Order: sequence, then structure tokens, then C-alpha cells
Amino acid sequence: MSVELPADKITDVQRFDLSVLTRPSAQKFYKRFDGIIIFVLFAFIALGIMLQYSLTAGDWDYWVDWRDRRWWPLVTPITFMIFIGGFMYPVWRAFRLPVIATAVTTLLALSSWVSRYYNFHLFADFPMSFVFPSTYIALGILMDCVLAMTRSMIMTTIVGAFLFAGLLWPVNWPLLAAYKVPVEYNGLLLSVSDLMGYEYVRTTTPEYLRIIEESTLRTFGGSVTPLTAVFAAFASILVFALATMASSAIYNYAGRYTRRIA
Amino acid sequence: MNLGTKFLKLISVLALLVLVSGDAMAHGERAQLASMRMRTVHWFDIKVEPQNAKVGDTIVMTGKFIPSKFWPEQLPSVDDTFFLNVGLPGPKFIRVNSEINGVPMIRSTAAEKGKLYEFKVVVRARVAGRYHMHPLLNVKDAGTLVGKGTWIDVDESDSDAPYVNEVTTMQGDVIDLENYALGNVYFWHVVWIILGVAYLVYWLILPKKGVFIPRYMFIAESGIDKANSLVTKKDFMVSGVFFTVTLAIILTGYLWAESKYPVTIPLQTGKVEVVGYEVPTGGLEIAVENATYELTGRNLSMRTRMKNTSASPIRIAEFITANIRFINDKVPGTGMVAGEEMVSKDGLSVSVDVIAPGQEVDVLLKAEDALWEKYRMTGLIYDPDSRFAGMLFYYDAQGNRYQQEVGGAVLPSNF
Repeated sequence: MSVELPADKITDVQRFDLSVLTRPSAQKFYKRFDGIIIFVLFAFIALGIMLQYSLTAGDWDYWVDWRDRRWWPLVTPITFMIFIGGFMYPVWRAFRLPVIATAVTTLLALSSWVSRYYNFHLFADFPMSFVFPSTYIALGILMDCVLAMTRSMIMTTIVGAFLFAGLLWPVNWPLLAAYKVPVEYNGLLLSVSDLMGYEYVRTTTPEYLRIIEESTLRTFGGSVTPLTAVFAAFASILVFALATMASSAIYNYAGRYTRRIA
Repeated sequence: MNLGTKFLKLISVLALLVLVSGDAMAHGERAQLASMRMRTVHWFDIKVEPQNAKVGDTIVMTGKFIPSKFWPEQLPSVDDTFFLNVGLPGPKFIRVNSEINGVPMIRSTAAEKGKLYEFKVVVRARVAGRYHMHPLLNVKDAGTLVGKGTWIDVDESDSDAPYVNEVTTMQGDVIDLENYALGNVYFWHVVWIILGVAYLVYWLILPKKGVFIPRYMFIAESGIDKANSLVTKKDFMVSGVFFTVTLAIILTGYLWAESKYPVTIPLQTGKVEVVGYEVPTGGLEIAVENATYELTGRNLSMRTRMKNTSASPIRIAEFITANIRFINDKVPGTGMVAGEEMVSKDGLSVSVDVIAPGQEVDVLLKAEDALWEKYRMTGLIYDPDSRFAGMLFYYDAQGNRYQQEVGGAVLPSNF
């Protein structure tokens, strides 16, 4: 089957015989090809997000005594939005697959566990209770589901990015709450995670290096967490929109260029 | 020479390097600029006891430091923010306590240049091995300043029981920080990973007719306007289920955590204040008139004018700079502590043996030893401001020890 198109549309639509899609031999080949694509794409995503996340938000995720109420929930979703925005548009545009946010967050979780266990725990001797990774998979699922249900990048930007940042704290609270329990130590009030940061020696990560609740932003009635969530959500919308626009421009330019070569 | 031969030679050289290179023996004491080591923090009287321990044993490191009044202008200093730390290869020890002048140093602090600070760090051995333990000051925006290191041997514990690090929360619960709340962490990660993988499997693995090529062909053939038809009603329903289940789990988890841990606090931070002690100078006034560093002789000569305003004769005993001790062996009481490194036992010569009460005299001090070379101190003559500083120690007739900082411009000789 082929579609006749006007000459000015010929660059946007390529001609394929869709009847081959129903052939069993072709389908077998497509499945095998899927395996290759998934392996290559996921390997690239896993390495990419590990690198980007480590460089931009690494310490907030490495150490339990860095996950504060203000900067961790702000920096983390913005970092994700840059990466997810870069991949989500091309994959949606070319395949209509709403999987990138889930893939990015799931692959980061898996690779983080490998890194924390082997590098931080076995090699450097930190207890896992001090260096376990945070989880963002639920946020990725929500974002992808918004894309799948609305089939709109705009709605995904407004609703998906908002949910991703806004729910980051509640998603991680079941993991983190235990580490915010107060202890008294040498006359000072500390959370359990503060105490762990003090006891488990980090030579080049002194206490002052943590960025804890630093800013001149004043909060309403001490409601740091919800205010940060809302601010991070709007910031994420903006960053995701910019990242998506950049990736769409690159994708469309690259598409035209490759078709010209072909 | 062909490529294979070159490659073999390269491998041989690399293998040789691996074989002949020794273990890393320290934490970069020699790496910093000589001027930074001489003119930032003067560490002294550092003791680590015991130096042989077993896992679970407590080790105490004590000592003193004086932030230099000659601190380089371009370098952020301790009068803003610093943290008393301990130089170890990771958490081989648990820091149980640390204090400066009796104030707990769980948080960062600030210090005044020219004042005396006594520190104490208590650690508990956690992992067996041989470690070089240093006191450290992490100075904000400047970096880490390293005190003198001491080797510690830690053997395995006599007990086979796993290592525990128990503390009591303010609610009265006794918790082991080695594996505290890990059950929660594992459970929730498994839940979300299963859900994430299930979502990906639905979209990428379950379609029997393939995913990437058929979808790409369809969009390319049918045009972008019809592309949305690839997301079927079933996909919509499944996504809706994932969306709802995810939100429900998030809500459940949040409410569960709120009920299980009703009392929580935010991370704690901030600075603590510590007051420095006055340095005991013992009535000796010292003015450095000039100083020269002789390259070939490996010595620093300081021509000084000293006036003893005390009622007791004074003898110059020791000069410390950049953690190196130059001792005047004619003065009793200037011994070494067990396991001490960076000591020149007879490296300090003094032109005047005893400075009598009321006497004002020119004194030539010469700190001479190959340690200048070994610890890469000769680089001080290449520093942009060519200045030195160090601590001078001296005793009165009753055996009381006093100290004060000396410093100034230094000129090289025998260029």
C-alpha cells in the first residue's frame, strides 16, 4: 500500500508497503530488531542519565543526609526534565511510544543500585542505609501515562512535568521518613541522617558542603515542602518545554538532512 | 618498528610500572604549595592512641592548631567557615565525637587567626586494615588542610558478631545505623521497579508483531496526522490503570510513612561558635629581621631580634612549619611521640643557647635537613609572594613550654 502525496509533502511522508507488516517472517524479524533497539537505546539511556544525574544532582542522591526539603526536590526533577525532554519527543514522534520517562527512571534506579552496592558499599565500605538511591519510577510512569492518555506533548508538559516534580517528595517519603527521626547527640538535635553523615567519615565532603535549606526564599508558615514542590513543578514545566523544543528542532533538522542524503 | 612491537613495549612498560610502584602511603601532604602548608594552619602535639586496635575499639586523636596570621591573602580562610574532619580512606572508622576547645564539632565553625585551638577526635574502628589517620580542616572555598598523619593498624575483632552501630532516638527506639530502615528501602524500590518494568513490558515486549519498525513505517506511510491511532483504546485503558494504581500506591506509601514515623525533623545544619585560646608566649618578644633559604644547604636561616621580658631564662627548642619539626637537641623535653613522622631530631641550631631575663639579643636560627627536599618545601622560593611562617617553641627554667608564630619575607640564596 502506498499513498500518493503532493510534491510539497513528499519530504514529510515516506513510502512503505505496509502489507509486509502482517507477514509472520517480517514480524519475527521486527521482534528481533526490537531486542537490538531496546538494548542499544536502554544502554545509551542508562549511561546518559547516570552521567548527567551524577554531574548535576549526584550528591543529593548519594547521601541520605543531603536529601533536604528545598534543594533536592528542586534540582532533581529539573535534571530529569532536561534528559527526558531530550528523548521523549523523538521517540514519540517516530514511534508513538510513551515509555521514555519510565525507561529513564527505571534504568537510573537499576544502575544506581549497581553503583551504590559495588562502589559505595563493597568498595568504599559505606553502609547501604546511608547511600541507597532515591526512587523516581512512579513519577516516570505518571508522566508517560499522561502522554499515552492525552497523546499530547503540551499536556504532558503541563500535567506530566508538574506531577513529576510535585510528587517527588511523597514518592520518596516512605523511604526517607525513618531517616528524619530526631536523635540527641552531644547536646545537639540531629536527624538520623545527619548523624549518619557525621559518623561515616567522608574526607572531602565536609558538613558545610551540603546545601541544606539555603536560600532567601521565605515560606508560608514553615511549609517548605509543599511550596518547594509547587515551585519545582512550575520550574520543571518550563525546563521540560525548553528541552522538548530543543530536541524537536534537532530531530526535525536531522530528519530533513538524512532524507536529503537518502 | 612495527605496530605490534610498539604495543608490546607499551604493555611491558605499563606492567613494569605496576610492579615497581608502591602503595599509596599518604594523603597528599606534599602536594599543596609549600607556602600554603607553611602559612595556613600550624598543627602540633598530635597524638593518636592506641595505634594498634581491633574492630570495635575506640581510638583518640588529640592535638592543637593555630591558624596562621600570615595566611595568604588570596586564599579563603578559617575565619569564615571550616569543618574539623579526619583523613581516612572512607568510613573505616566511625566518628564518635569531635571537639575543638571542648565544643562539639558535629557542625562547621569558624576560627580566629593567631589563636590556639585544641582538638580531639574520637573514632571507633569499623573495618580491619592499616590506615594513615590525619586531622583535617576542610576550609570553605579553600580546600582541605592536612595535619600530620599517624599509621594505625586495625585487626579483626575477636568476636564473629556483625558490626553494629546503635543509637537511641528521641522516641526511645534503639536503632542500628549499619542497616537502619533498609527493609523499607528495599520494599519500596522493588515495588516501583516491578511497576516500571511491567509498564515497559506492556509497551515494548508484549506486542507480538514488533514495535519499532512497524510503528515507524506506519507513521512514515500514514503521516503524522494519523500517528495517534497507534495508541489504541486498550493502551488508553492500560495507561489509565497504571496512572491510577501509581497514584494510589504513592498515597498509601505516604500515609503509611506518616503514621509509622509521626515525629520527624528536617535536616539540621548551621555553624557553632568556638572561642580560641590566647597563645602562651611566655614574655619573649621576637622580631624576624630577615630570612633566607639556601637551596644547596637545604636550610632556612632566620635572623631575629629577641627580647626576654620574663623573669626566667628561655631556651629555643623547636621550629615547626608545614608539619615538619626541626628540633634543637640541646634542649631537653622536645621528644617525639610514638610513630611520629616528619621530624628532624637535630635540625634546629640556635646561635644563642640561653636568653637571660631582660636580655635583648640577635639570634640566628637555622632549620636544616633533607626534609625540606623530601616534603617539597623548596618550592617556597617560587611562590608569588615569597613569604614563610612557622611556630617557634621555647622553654623557661621551670620547663614550661611557650610558643609563638614567626614569619616574614624569605630570600633564596645560591640560585
